[in-house]
Amino acid sequence: MLLQAKGISKHYGTHAVLQKVSFSVREGELLGLIGPNGAGKTTLFECLAALIPADSGEVFFHGATLPAARRKHALFYLPDGIRPWADQPVSFALSFFEALYARPRGSAASLADSLKLAPLLHAHIGSLSKGEAKRVLLALGLLTPHPLLLLDEPFDGLDFRQTRDVMNLLRSIPGHGRTLFLSIHQLTDAARVCDRLVLLSRGCVAGEGTLPELRAQAGLADGGLEEVFLALT
Amino acid sequence: MAAWRRFSLRSRSGAAPVAAVPSGPRAGYHPALRPFGWLLLKEFRELAASRAFWLLLLIIGPLAGHGFITAVETYAEASGIHGGPAALAQGLSPLDGIFVPSFGAYDLAATLLFPFVAIRLISAEKSSGAWKLMLQSPASMPSMLLAKGVALLGGWMIAWIPGLLAVALWKLYSGSVYFPELGNLLLGHLLRVILACGVAVAAAAVAGNAASAAIATLGFTVGTWALEFVAAGRGGLLEKIASYTPTSALRIFEQGEFRLNTVLVTLLLGVAGFTIAAVWLQPRRTVFRQASATLAVVLTFAAAIAAISFLHPSWDLSENRRNSFPPADEAALARIREPLRITVNLAPEDPRLLDLDQEILSKLVRVVPHVEIDYAGRSRTGLFEGSQEHYGEIWYRLGARQVMSHSTTPEIVLETIYNLAGIAPPSHAGEIPYQGHPLAAEPAGAAWIFYLLWPLVVMIGGWIQFHERS
Repeated sequence: MLLQAKGISKHYGTHAVLQKVSFSVREGELLGLIGPNGAGKTTLFECLAALIPADSGEVFFHGATLPAARRKHALFYLPDGIRPWADQPVSFALSFFEALYARPRGSAASLADSLKLAPLLHAHIGSLSKGEAKRVLLALGLLTPHPLLLLDEPFDGLDFRQTRDVMNLLRSIPGHGRTLFLSIHQLTDAARVCDRLVLLSRGCVAGEGTLPELRAQAGLADGGLEEVFLALT
Repeated sequence: MAAWRRFSLRSRSGAAPVAAVPSGPRAGYHPALRPFGWLLLKEFRELAASRAFWLLLLIIGPLAGHGFITAVETYAEASGIHGGPAALAQGLSPLDGIFVPSFGAYDLAATLLFPFVAIRLISAEKSSGAWKLMLQSPASMPSMLLAKGVALLGGWMIAWIPGLLAVALWKLYSGSVYFPELGNLLLGHLLRVILACGVAVAAAAVAGNAASAAIATLGFTVGTWALEFVAAGRGGLLEKIASYTPTSALRIFEQGEFRLNTVLVTLLLGVAGFTIAAVWLQPRRTVFRQASATLAVVLTFAAAIAAISFLHPSWDLSENRRNSFPPADEAALARIREPLRITVNLAPEDPRLLDLDQEILSKLVRVVPHVEIDYAGRSRTGLFEGSQEHYGEIWYRLGARQVMSHSTTPEIVLETIYNLAGIAPPSHAGEIPYQGHPLAAEPAGAAWIFYLLWPLVVMIGGWIQFHERS
């Protein structure tokens, strides 16, 4: 087991955003965190990355407790909807991350090619469309060397073709020793790309497993993720 | 692929497979720039992308230039240009006449313009989400804040160019430059901006957005002005605290004095601002924990500042030795080993106290090993103390001996102290008084440089920086 979260809770005032959330992440898998808007997906990721303090709960990495101060050594969280260094060209942001993480020279260029960013290298990040900015963010996330990568809504803002390309890219990553944990609100996308799924509803884990396992938990003989989600939440 | 070459990276030819993405960190691929170098580069690029910074550069040239041109003209008039009456040569010091007014624009800039540049460097990353990425990076909080601090100081050095041009022009007009006092003045302005950066960075870290941070920073500035105003009428501890406000601290450097405690306290206040910023920029902390940590930082720095304020070493770096007694008097006074206690029965706003402080007490503190001054005036102005029996008396006590004087004239006070200490007044024969540096020069070419050339250079630089984005 790569990572285990046990009993993570988070309140904003009297509003409980996460309630004793527990799940596990297996090494080399592509795990999906699915749930509707407001289910607490982003809050869970930010608690896991220790960007915000959780009220309670523990995180284990390879079976050992992973304190908040050491999370950044084990996992990297790529938020959704951010526009970092809007005044800088794409090429600088990629070079900066490549250097910051001491990645081999050419890593950023390879990723830029894979994500079809070559025509955008001169463009300032602030001037990019939502889909273009999302691809730049993905490149930044993929440049990090952490064993576990948390991507918040990696397909948000991408068109059909881009979504397919990014899915193919992400699917190939676990084969290279990294584990991906994706937050996705589009159930069809999640079913297509993820090995296993964690269903989050109103801050609680409603189910965890592969689609057939979730189907069994829901008592359904067949049906897609949508039906399973509705049955379990 | 030109963009890659710009940043010393090479793309592999053709579409790279995802397998090319490496799985682990490898050090040493960027020998030219270590991670801190890249942090610095990022901050300098962010600074260059800041419109507030370019606006600062645009404004500072004409402001400093106006100060310089006016100063040169006034100095020339005082030196008797066009055959007019000349002032006493001893009164013509380039520090007061030229450098302080020329660099006066930088006090204004450090108060009202530069904080916005500093705030942007933090707020832009917070609001854009970049800070969430940086918090997870291998860079430590101190190194990230240090990079921001160094970039801000670098930016300030660029803004200094018009001021330094003014010095070069003055030299070109055959003006006198006494480098110790000029260097001391520049140090004062540097410390002034370090403090401004500390306040702005702390405000940007604590506040939710740039606008709130700007209001907080301006609030701090107005607060220090109010403190100075109130302290001027009260004296005592409040006056001592007020002596470390940015304006008061800068005034000491403008007088050509280097006070160790002022330097260290100003530096510590700046560092305290960055430390508070580190507390609030740190993730995974509740507001209560952040507030507690801030209180701990404030108390720690307050204790350190209180301790440092007792350090009295200071050096008079002015060419005309305005902060010192004549060398013979200094040598004589340094021989007094017993503690000298001075009780001053004058109110804080009494002009005699101002004279006594500036002309005698501040100089005495620097040369007599043990001096204790007690300001015994109780009212603010002294208007209603005048009728009291001891008002206006200044008592000098050395061991069991004491003597009273009403005088605030240096020669008389020194004679009183010598009599009390049983020391013969020294001879001043052979001492050469400050001769002054009169110069009746026109500010030739200065208007072209400060009002035309500098703004043009800045506008061209800004256009190169911003036109790619438009």
